[in-house]
Amino acid sequence: MALYNFKKIMVVPTSKEFIDITLSKTQRKTPTVVHKHYQIHRIRHFYMRKVKFTQQNYHDRLSQILTDFPKLDDIHPFYADLMNVLYDKDHYKLALGQINIAKNLIDNVSKDYVRLMKYGDSLYRCKQLKRAALGRMCTIMKRQKQSLEYLEQVRQHLSRLPTIDPNTRTLLLCGYPNVGKSSFINKVTRADVEVQPYAFTTKSLFVGHMDYKYLRWQVVDTPGILDHPLEERNTIEMQAITALAHLRSAVLYVMDVSEQCGQTLEQQLELFNNIRPLFANKPLLIVANKCDVKKISELTEEDQKIFADLTAEGISVIETSTLTEEGVMTVKTEACDKLLAHRVDGKMKGKKVHDVLNRLHLAVPAKRDEKARPPFIPEGARIGRKTMEVDAPKRKTERDLEVEMGDDYILDLQKYWDLMNQDEKYDVIPEIWEGHNIADYIDPDIMKEELKVKDEEMQEIRQLAKQIREKRKLKIVCSKDKDVHGPRLPRTVKKVERKTLEKEMGDLGLDMTGKDDSHYAVNARRSRSVGVAKKRKREASVVPTSRTRSQSASRPPRDQSGVRDPKMAKQAKKLMKNQQKDMNRQGKKGEADRHVFDLKPKHLFSGKRKSGTNDHR
Amino acid sequence: MRIEKCYFCSGPVYPGHGTMFVRNDCKTFRFCKSKCLKNFKKKRNPRKTRWTKAFRKASGKELTVDNCLEFEKRRNVAVKYQRELWSKTVEAMRKVEGIKRKRQAQFIFNRLKKGKQLEKEEAISEVKKNIHLIKAPHAGKTKVMEEKMVQKLQDVEMGDD
Repeated sequence: MALYNFKKIMVVPTSKEFIDITLSKTQRKTPTVVHKHYQIHRIRHFYMRKVKFTQQNYHDRLSQILTDFPKLDDIHPFYADLMNVLYDKDHYKLALGQINIAKNLIDNVSKDYVRLMKYGDSLYRCKQLKRAALGRMCTIMKRQKQSLEYLEQVRQHLSRLPTIDPNTRTLLLCGYPNVGKSSFINKVTRADVEVQPYAFTTKSLFVGHMDYKYLRWQVVDTPGILDHPLEERNTIEMQAITALAHLRSAVLYVMDVSEQCGQTLEQQLELFNNIRPLFANKPLLIVANKCDVKKISELTEEDQKIFADLTAEGISVIETSTLTEEGVMTVKTEACDKLLAHRVDGKMKGKKVHDVLNRLHLAVPAKRDEKARPPFIPEGARIGRKTMEVDAPKRKTERDLEVEMGDDYILDLQKYWDLMNQDEKYDVIPEIWEGHNIADYIDPDIMKEELKVKDEEMQEIRQLAKQIREKRKLKIVCSKDKDVHGPRLPRTVKKVERKTLEKEMGDLGLDMTGKDDSHYAVNARRSRSVGVAKKRKREASVVPTSRTRSQSASRPPRDQSGVRDPKMAKQAKKLMKNQQKDMNRQGKKGEADRHVFDLKPKHLFSGKRKSGTNDHR
Repeated sequence: MRIEKCYFCSGPVYPGHGTMFVRNDCKTFRFCKSKCLKNFKKKRNPRKTRWTKAFRKASGKELTVDNCLEFEKRRNVAVKYQRELWSKTVEAMRKVEGIKRKRQAQFIFNRLKKGKQLEKEEAISEVKKNIHLIKAPHAGKTKVMEEKMVQKLQDVEMGDD
């Protein structure tokens, strides 16, 4: 349908842009390099290509514009008329005509210059021809500036027109300005048309959609119409007239009973009679709006007579108030029903109906006995059907509650929960316990395990082993602590004190009481009594009584054994000291200490050797 | 809200922690920390990465088959809230948790018994070799030894005679 293409019209560039785009495209998409020394046919081909490419581009874009824009003759007369009203048919056609002419001119220019190019004999000539051709094409486009601008504006407006399907079920609202047409459409559909106290708030057609009897209905809101002859009407009113004229719909003529719109009832009736011819063949309904302010019964006799006349003619008059929503639904249902009936009638009179009727056949089974078998309609469906037809107030929604309570409203979804015990609805449900999801558990079995008995025997052994390890570590620590400087002496050199011996052995568990008679105690006493070692005379006749005793008591110290007199002792001592001098000076531990502290002393390995050896430099 | 399991280390992923990776076959992988995610991206097998629970279970270091582990299982059935059912479940959870811990500990204890056996033997050998460090060999036996010596001497004398 021509409807939807209005949004798909390509953007119409300005003339400057158009030229820029095309020329830059030519530059990019055609080869750019040509030299004087090429063969002449190659040069000619090169330039001809450029001219033809530019022409092609212009042609394509202009053709696209021409095809995109709707032809006023091809579209539905409603849209044709609407466009005429909005954009002036003549201007529109003229603009498109200009574009067409421009397209043809460009084609001609290109043809001519390509022909001329065949006779170009040098690069310079061909180049000039190309320049001339492109220049002429661009000039043609420059002249189209106005048309292109106009078409762009038309395109933008066109894409914003409301999508009114002229053939579907439509309700059309018309009347004076400020009577309540936009309020009505706001109430009945989801449309959100501006409602303001000044006249001509609605300046163009608006569409809303509603559902009734499982069908989609369009509701078209028009700008208000004033009462003057057709020729004097402005664009805005003309839109309303166009809609009235072309759309096959039910017409709802809205009147303001309270005369708040600024027109009296007579004036409104005048208008009604004036545009009556437009209502031919359309189901008509009069909506007496703003009845919350003034009811028809409160009017004067003459005014009431007007309404009575209208009703007598067969046009139903319904009182409504868009403010209190009284009567709005009745209007809707009546209008829809009337229109449906009208449309069905129309279809029945047509030729296509028989195809459909032939397929619609309600097969009724033949009666076999006298028992009545009416159709079964469940209770819920019956109630539902009633509410749909009467549109009784449905149950209170959360939104209604919210509006009612205002700031106090709290969204409490838990009240709708369906649990086994209704009083548990507001419980705080635990989800996690100690790192586990409660949802993963169900009723468990309760089971218990017995603890194992420890092994007692092993405990003892373990304790002993522990003690051993401790003692070992202690010993290691003690020996490390000793910090021995100098030669390590054998254990026999040290004298073992009786006390320490008895203490140690006592710790190890031996019984050390009453050891005065023991060997070590006696010896200790013996050695004390002997004292310092005397010089022993060489007396071979003296036989020691007991070997052990003589040896321990009478052995002289080393520096006195074999020494005859003090003079000799002095000499011996002197010898000893002389021998040790060297070692001491060199810091040696003893005779056997051959350790070299510094293998490579610096003073022997650096510097020049002037005269001397490596022992000194 | 639930605590998920990390794909790599099988640790808990609390709400607001960790990352989730969704593969092209719509399988989701949750990770508790970037360590796990990085290991996953390196294509490491959690069953071979020693510090993960998957390794420990696969190599038999922890309790795997036990009926107390069957209680925690994701059931894809929605159960309507009932206060008593929930409170009973929490109680049961407590008990099951206690039992589970004991059993897991017992399993590990049994596994480490071999070590205890070795320790035992080592202690015994230690005692045998180095008892002299804390106890003299003849501690508490002086009287007996004296008697023995006396006996010997007497025997010798008797023999002489």
